[in-house]
Amino acid sequence: MSHYEEVKVHGYDEFCKAVSERKGNDIFAYFSGDIDTQGLSWCPDCVKAEPIVRGEMSHLPEGSVFFYCQVGERPYWKDPNNEFKKTLKLSGVPTLIRYGTPQKLVEEECFKADLVRMMFTED
Amino acid sequence: MSNLRHTCWLCLLWSHYQHCPIEIEWHGIWFVTGTFDYDLVVIGGGSGGLACSKEAAQLGQKVAVLDYVEPSVKGTKWGIGGTCVNVGCIPKKLMHQAALLGTALKDAQKYGWQIPGPISHDWSTMAEAVQNHVRSLNWGHRVQLQDNLFFFYELLFHTILKEYNFNTAILHFVFPIEVIMSLPLVWQIMLTAKNIVIATGGRPKYPTHIPGAVEHGITSDDIFWLKESPGKTLVVGASYVALECAGFLTGIGLETTVMVRSIPLRGFDQQMAGLVTDYMEAYGTKFSWRSVPKSVDKLSSGVLQVTWTDEQTGKDQRDTFDSVLWAVGRAPETKTLGLEKVGVKLNKESGKILVAADESTSVPNIYAFGDIGEGRPELTPTAIKAGKLLARRLAGQTNELMNYDNVATTVFTPLEYGCVGLSEEEAESRHGKDSIEVYHAFYKPLEFTVAERDASQCYIKVVCKRGGDQRILGLHFTGPNAGEVTQGFAMGFQCGATLTHLKETVGIHPTCAEELTKVNVSKRSGLDATVTGC
Repeated sequence: MSHYEEVKVHGYDEFCKAVSERKGNDIFAYFSGDIDTQGLSWCPDCVKAEPIVRGEMSHLPEGSVFFYCQVGERPYWKDPNNEFKKTLKLSGVPTLIRYGTPQKLVEEECFKADLVRMMFTED
Repeated sequence: MSNLRHTCWLCLLWSHYQHCPIEIEWHGIWFVTGTFDYDLVVIGGGSGGLACSKEAAQLGQKVAVLDYVEPSVKGTKWGIGGTCVNVGCIPKKLMHQAALLGTALKDAQKYGWQIPGPISHDWSTMAEAVQNHVRSLNWGHRVQLQDNLFFFYELLFHTILKEYNFNTAILHFVFPIEVIMSLPLVWQIMLTAKNIVIATGGRPKYPTHIPGAVEHGITSDDIFWLKESPGKTLVVGASYVALECAGFLTGIGLETTVMVRSIPLRGFDQQMAGLVTDYMEAYGTKFSWRSVPKSVDKLSSGVLQVTWTDEQTGKDQRDTFDSVLWAVGRAPETKTLGLEKVGVKLNKESGKILVAADESTSVPNIYAFGDIGEGRPELTPTAIKAGKLLARRLAGQTNELMNYDNVATTVFTPLEYGCVGLSEEEAESRHGKDSIEVYHAFYKPLEFTVAERDASQCYIKVVCKRGGDQRILGLHFTGPNAGEVTQGFAMGFQCGATLTHLKETVGIHPTCAEELTKVNVSKRSGLDATVTGC
């Protein structure tokens, strides 16, 4: 029984709905390109970062919520007007954010376990 | 021996779990894991400290950065980045911008914008936006430090320089920490380093001799982090900190008074300082000249009652305010470093560290720069540049020393004032009144015309050597975007610009900056210096 809750969502609307249901919690969100049936994403950086991020999840604060959000297929992501880019201001995948704070790690920053741990353990 | 991975969360050396090869003393029990030599330990994670340590790391040095923020009297504290990022330049400029936008909104109507209803300002919205930006800068620094294999120590309390030993300075950091059981624990961590750099900067002073000053007043450490509006505010002081704060508070619609003991902007050209304060008075900031605060009391209603002496009449005056902001000077952060024990010499009056041209102190291998250095400008860009050069020298990459001359600055008051070089008084004092020629002009920014704004204080002054090549000794500008205007001219100044160079430069039209290239009326001639239309 882990001390955090993992929520898997797919797409912008599902993400927003799930976040609004959990206001008041410490929310972390990991955005990744869609996973195929083999469990691999079209985004090679996401494939590389995921095990590193997962490796640090034991450091998540007690009672926090970790969203694993698949953003969509490659063409959707490449469209500069997609909701993630426009509204959430994401610039790339993978992105790891602490919702409601300026804390975020983008692309290669997610490869660094130290940085991921720093975000999870920051006060 | 205990696994440091478990004990490290207690000592709050986050980012250091994997390899804590340092000696830790806990209640007399030593957990020795091995010694670690750093090439450089930088004390202070502000503008200077971060620039120095990042440069050193990029040059392949093993660097440790220590940062600690003693909470202000009111309890305000902040993340890494130092004064500039957290309680100085950055939030100041953003709030100044908020105030300018208020003025712009008023002007906008004259330009045809239909603005329904009166315009009001919400402090909380501004404060949250500013604070979020500052937090993003804190985060950015943290990511950068982590990225560069730094060892970043977040000290909770005191750093004490305990011993000095040959080529290695041993720093003893003592910190009482309150852990879960609320029992104070004393941790001592020893770092050894080839060179140590002190860049701890300064903090605002409280006038502790004034009853009620500490209990009821705030400083620039607090103003940018207030969650609610400070309301009717008394700003005590006449430094640029005081005037800039009073300026943006007035600009966002708060009733603001500045209490000045003697002169505004000491050290700056006094004619220019007068123009700055004249503009502020015309735009709604109240000034209480020649006044010295006597006491601050909190009334039952919660407001603060300030009693002060009017030095001209000798009589006492009284008024109430929601907030009192002390901007009466800054003190260097050296007290908790225990520098006397190591022999680092300080200036007795200022308390700042005595430094040589290469930032070295009286103790070999210990350096100091930034606000903490005696005689140094208290500015971010000089600290950053000095820090980078110091890092390069320590890494053996260069012999270049920091050039502290010809540094341009800007005061971000409602009417901004930018300058580079000498004030008129300083030029007179150094060269003699007869050996200098002062060219000047009162101009009107084009944008003020339609907005029907008063430009009486928009002014330019170029102080030159008289005769010969008429080298420019000082350049002064009050007007919108003074910082942007002055920066370019600062380069000319650095290159030894003369009046001829200035006059040979063709202006960009229509701008305020071009008026600098058009100065031709000298003070000596007594002619009217008002610029007429083009």
